[in-house]
Amino acid sequence: MNVDEVKARAGPREFSPKDDLPEEYRKAATRMLEFHANSEIMGAYLERPFIRKAPSIERKMAFSAKVQDEIGHGQMLYRAAESLGIKTRDEMLDDLANGDGKFLNCFHYPMESYVETPMIAFFVDGAAMRRQATLKKSSWEPYAHAMDKICFEEGMHVKHGESILRELMNGSQKEQRMTQEAFEEWWPRILQFFGPTDDQSTHHDFAAEVGLKTCTNDELRNAFLNTYIPKAKKYGLEMPDEPRIRDNGDGTYEVVEDDLDWDEFFTVSQNEYDGSIEQITGRRQAQEAVQWVRDMMDDQTTTNSGPQTQAAD
Amino acid sequence: MATTESDLGGPTDLSEDEQRAVEAQLLRLADDELIQAERYTFWQVRAPTLESDLSISNNAQDELGHARLWYDAVQQLGYSEESLIYESDPSDFQHSTLVELPFAEGDWADAIVRAYLYDVAEDIRLSALEDSSYEIIRNRTSRIQGEEGYHLEHAESWLDRMALDEEASERVQAAIDELYPYALTLFEPVGDVEADIDRLGIRTMTLDEMRTEWETRVESFLTELGFDVPTDAAPATPAGRDNEHTDHWHDLHEQMTSSYRNLGRDEATLIMADDDE
Repeated sequence: MNVDEVKARAGPREFSPKDDLPEEYRKAATRMLEFHANSEIMGAYLERPFIRKAPSIERKMAFSAKVQDEIGHGQMLYRAAESLGIKTRDEMLDDLANGDGKFLNCFHYPMESYVETPMIAFFVDGAAMRRQATLKKSSWEPYAHAMDKICFEEGMHVKHGESILRELMNGSQKEQRMTQEAFEEWWPRILQFFGPTDDQSTHHDFAAEVGLKTCTNDELRNAFLNTYIPKAKKYGLEMPDEPRIRDNGDGTYEVVEDDLDWDEFFTVSQNEYDGSIEQITGRRQAQEAVQWVRDMMDDQTTTNSGPQTQAAD
Repeated sequence: MATTESDLGGPTDLSEDEQRAVEAQLLRLADDELIQAERYTFWQVRAPTLESDLSISNNAQDELGHARLWYDAVQQLGYSEESLIYESDPSDFQHSTLVELPFAEGDWADAIVRAYLYDVAEDIRLSALEDSSYEIIRNRTSRIQGEEGYHLEHAESWLDRMALDEEASERVQAAIDELYPYALTLFEPVGDVEADIDRLGIRTMTLDEMRTEWETRVESFLTELGFDVPTDAAPATPAGRDNEHTDHWHDLHEQMTSSYRNLGRDEATLIMADDDE
């Protein structure tokens, strides 16, 4: 198939590994899936300290389960990416460790306090849900298929985040104040989650034409704001004065882009922000420390002998 | 409900001595499982592969679930999660010091050896509790046993693999040498309450009997794989069961309770539905 044929056929779950697809399509789909998978891993890395710090056993169980789900999502998405034949999972994980792999802007910022956890688990995951729901219609069938399970689990994560937010905002004055402060710090990053407005986005056109992207950044941002501004207010959070958000009154919003720090955003997306370096390096060191285990597993695989047969040698 | 003549009944039927003995058995179960789980979660997003990350996360959540069941059983005797965990002093805990030791980054052999030594002990302990005279222990033991069997298989299959690799074997041997004396503390007494636990049938094996079975099983399995087992080792000190702990536990408890304290909480949140017996 050439690119024109792909564009003509593009539709939900239209293409699978059985199709002979042009490299341009396979690269674009790989880039999206790799970014998504990397984001699952780095999101899990960011949240993992709160398994320990969660303030009850049941919250601890929920954090542990959420972090585990995200590793599971990463596993599924890397598999869907590998099936495009551009990069292997090991190559993608190596790139993530060495700082070449890209991932969501929000996962580049350190998270110090428990009150920050719903900023990820409610708002960022809620924003991710908006995007992910549209990916069930991806033209790359393995991606759409992975999203069926992932969206279900992400729905649970948003409920977990909402439950934490509700508890904090019904808690003491101190908890409410700390949560409001965290919200003000995270809100601009959450708005930037959807990237710049459409006219500034670089990869959209081709991805949309071949059915890999089914909604624009603006559509997704509007859908998110329509749901989440009322929710934030319902739980007693006050919207910061800046960045300014104009409600057009017809279900659409305009975020004043000059109120957001796009230099920081692009530094983040190049993995060059202080937090990026900290998160990437921390995870790389943890992965290097268990390289010996992977080497052992590789040796046992390449000699084509599982433990039993090798023992018999 | 299977009752025997010596059945102790429910939480409100216990005499003072009986309650003291039931509590002592329950607390070590709860504390061991919680802290073992807590240390397992160190490996989340740090395990060697995505697959091994998922497996060890499963184990952590199983153990957390068991801890929750055991703490709930203690709470039926008039305690709260806050008083037992979040507002308690670290020296109130009675878990074995095996489970409180921190992992060095990358020391996957420690994780597997610790899991193995613990899971064999847990398997033996649960069989000593399946006919407990305290119904809540009996019932919860049978719910837990299925999952623990899977944990043991997980640890054993990793040991099978690592035994075939020279570098991994050296790491495993070092972990065995380090951890074996700490594992022996799982069978140390909490105090003079052990005789009551045995006499009242709360547990159907003595600590000595359990340790002997553990030593036999551990030695046989590890020796078969070519490892040396320090069978003449004495239990490590501090033992944990006697409320004496390493500094590592004090640090861990501080971290575990930090959000609770920073937020000025006075309640540990419940989010799951109550369990039916």
